[in-house]
Amino acid sequence: MAEVKLVHVAKAYENGPRVIRNATITVQDREFLVLVGPSGCGKSTLLRMIAGLEDITDGDLLIDGKRMNDVPPKDRDIAMVFQNYALYPHMTVYENMAFGLKLAGLPKDDIRQRVSRAAQLLEIDALLDRKPKDMSGGQRQRVAIGRAIVRNPKVFLFDEPLSNLDAKLRVQTRIELQKLHRELNATIIYVTHDQVEAMTLGDRIVVLRDGDVVQQDTPINLYNQPATQFVAGFIGTPPMNFVPGRLSETGPLYFTSTGGQVQIDLSNSQPAARLQAHRGKPVTFGIRAEHLSEQPPAAQSVHEQALAVEAVENMGNETLVYCPIDTGQLIARLPAGYVASFGQPIRLFWNLDKAHFFDAQTGQAI
Amino acid sequence: MKLLRYALLLLAALSFIYPFVWMISASLSSEQGIGSLTLLPVGLTISNYTTVFERIPLGRAFLNSLFVALVTTGLVLVLGAMVGYALARLRFRGRDLIFYLIIFTMTLPFQITLIPNYITMVKLGWVDTYFALIVPFVMNSLAVLLFRQAFASLPQALIDAARIDGCGELRIIFQILLPNIVPTVLTITILTFMGLWNEALWPLIVIRDESTMTMPQMVTLFSVGGRADAQLGVKIAAAVMLALPILVVYLFFQKHFIRSMASSGLKD
Ligand SMILES: Nc1ncnc2c1ncn2[C@@H]1O[C@H](COP(=O)(O)OP(=O)(O)OP(=O)(O)O)[C@@H](O)[C@H]1O
Ligand SMILES: [Mg+2]
Repeated sequence: MAEVKLVHVAKAYENGPRVIRNATITVQDREFLVLVGPSGCGKSTLLRMIAGLEDITDGDLLIDGKRMNDVPPKDRDIAMVFQNYALYPHMTVYENMAFGLKLAGLPKDDIRQRVSRAAQLLEIDALLDRKPKDMSGGQRQRVAIGRAIVRNPKVFLFDEPLSNLDAKLRVQTRIELQKLHRELNATIIYVTHDQVEAMTLGDRIVVLRDGDVVQQDTPINLYNQPATQFVAGFIGTPPMNFVPGRLSETGPLYFTSTGGQVQIDLSNSQPAARLQAHRGKPVTFGIRAEHLSEQPPAAQSVHEQALAVEAVENMGNETLVYCPIDTGQLIARLPAGYVASFGQPIRLFWNLDKAHFFDAQTGQAI
Repeated sequence: MKLLRYALLLLAALSFIYPFVWMISASLSSEQGIGSLTLLPVGLTISNYTTVFERIPLGRAFLNSLFVALVTTGLVLVLGAMVGYALARLRFRGRDLIFYLIIFTMTLPFQITLIPNYITMVKLGWVDTYFALIVPFVMNSLAVLLFRQAFASLPQALIDAARIDGCGELRIIFQILLPNIVPTVLTITILTFMGLWNEALWPLIVIRDESTMTMPQMVTLFSVGGRADAQLGVKIAAAVMLALPILVVYLFFQKHFIRSMASSGLKD
């Protein structure tokens, strides 16, 4: 049982501005929660406050209902895995994993047992006598995770643990982390700036921006119902297509892009009702690449438009088509068979049922 | 080309080493033979050494020197590491001011503090005690500076990991960080130990009691005082005795020095 609760938590480094303004997050028991956001948004700061490595300026941190603000790190029953592993360079793998247990005063046999069990789980039993400098990045990463596991903590904290690994190893470790989460049955709080990691690992994702929690939800909900334009652009590859423009003030409901190239009849589309309040105001239209297609989709309302083709990326399983428009570009995700014919416009069907609208001033979803 | 390079290096090495060779061979020469600039002793004898040991309590002075140098070096390492850690890693008000003050004391020539220090020793009643030889040297600004730089270069995550593992600040300094800055520790050890071992002026000022005297003081008094009977060989023999321990320490650490450089090197 380990539930972590942040209640109106804020952080200011001495004499500095607040880098976390007001974060309220509940991490349920055994949940894999991912904190994601661009560099400098305060993810590490938040994690370090949970670990007890930074003071909490304002608000409360509760672990299992107990206020932890002033409890030293070692008594919080947490373990942390760092981005650069932070293994003790002068100790062997065994000593690295055993160190915390030794300080906690566990009997030698108990320590040996725990270390060898963790080493087996992570398949590093052959490395126990090595020093960190004689191991590869992936192996060091396992040792760092092992050092966390042996403590058998209530909560695991991970700060970008995969960002120093190469692409292939990252995918592999990602899958192992999922497996590990199931086997350990532990609460995990995981920081990353990589939205793919967030989507694949998280039971729930908290999106941070400039020290604010923008949205927290399951990966699917974040993808399908982003609360702001920022989230919509951050989650998903390729990012959602955005077209800045304006809604017609009177007459039939129309969206017109800033340059006028895109004109969409919204009068009998699904979002029409929600948009009434924003008539005549600037809004941003958003649509994901997979909702632009060559074949008319089975949808309530569809927009059809011919666009020039600027570039084509053939991925093997799909093809990404880049079309320039007056306000930037659109990316369409088409089936693998698509053959580009440059100089010839492509006719795209826009599935308006799946379209998003954002207030151009606040970025909030409409 | 290569030959020329070796020749130059050899020449430099010889010019450094020759005075030592001469010193040793002179100390083993009879008094008449000292004048010549030879490599080998003239009229081989160890009488110079026996004379030294007959005239002054060099054994006692050696132990005094060893005691003072070891204790002080130990304290310099412990205190220097603690202060250096605080200056590099802890956040508190006035930290930078304190650091600059410490740097400032490095710029003062020791002659300036000599008299105030002596008066302090007198007031504390430490004259003719080991305290006078040890206490004024236990805070070493160079050691603090070197430790601070070394600690600042280590990753913060190392300290964070240790905190989560349950280390207090002292354990972080001595069990986690120090083993990772061995070259700095050795540098400070060698510099401090040699400096203390060779220190003659300060003991001359605060120690008059022969049983508390250190070797350099004893040798200096012996050489410039009357007891050497103006015999050059005897003086040189005393100087050799003074230099010998340093040479041993240095040769010992030299090996460690090179090894620690090689292993900590540029890898990751
Ligand atoms: N020790 C510190 N003192 C002062 N400001 C700091 C300190 N650590 C971080 N900050 C500031 O706090 C903000 C958030 O930093 P933080 O390291 O939490 O970001 P992050 O989301 O982890 O970024 P990244 O993805 O690059 O790791 C940044 O603006 C940073 O400059
Ligand atoms: Mg970070």
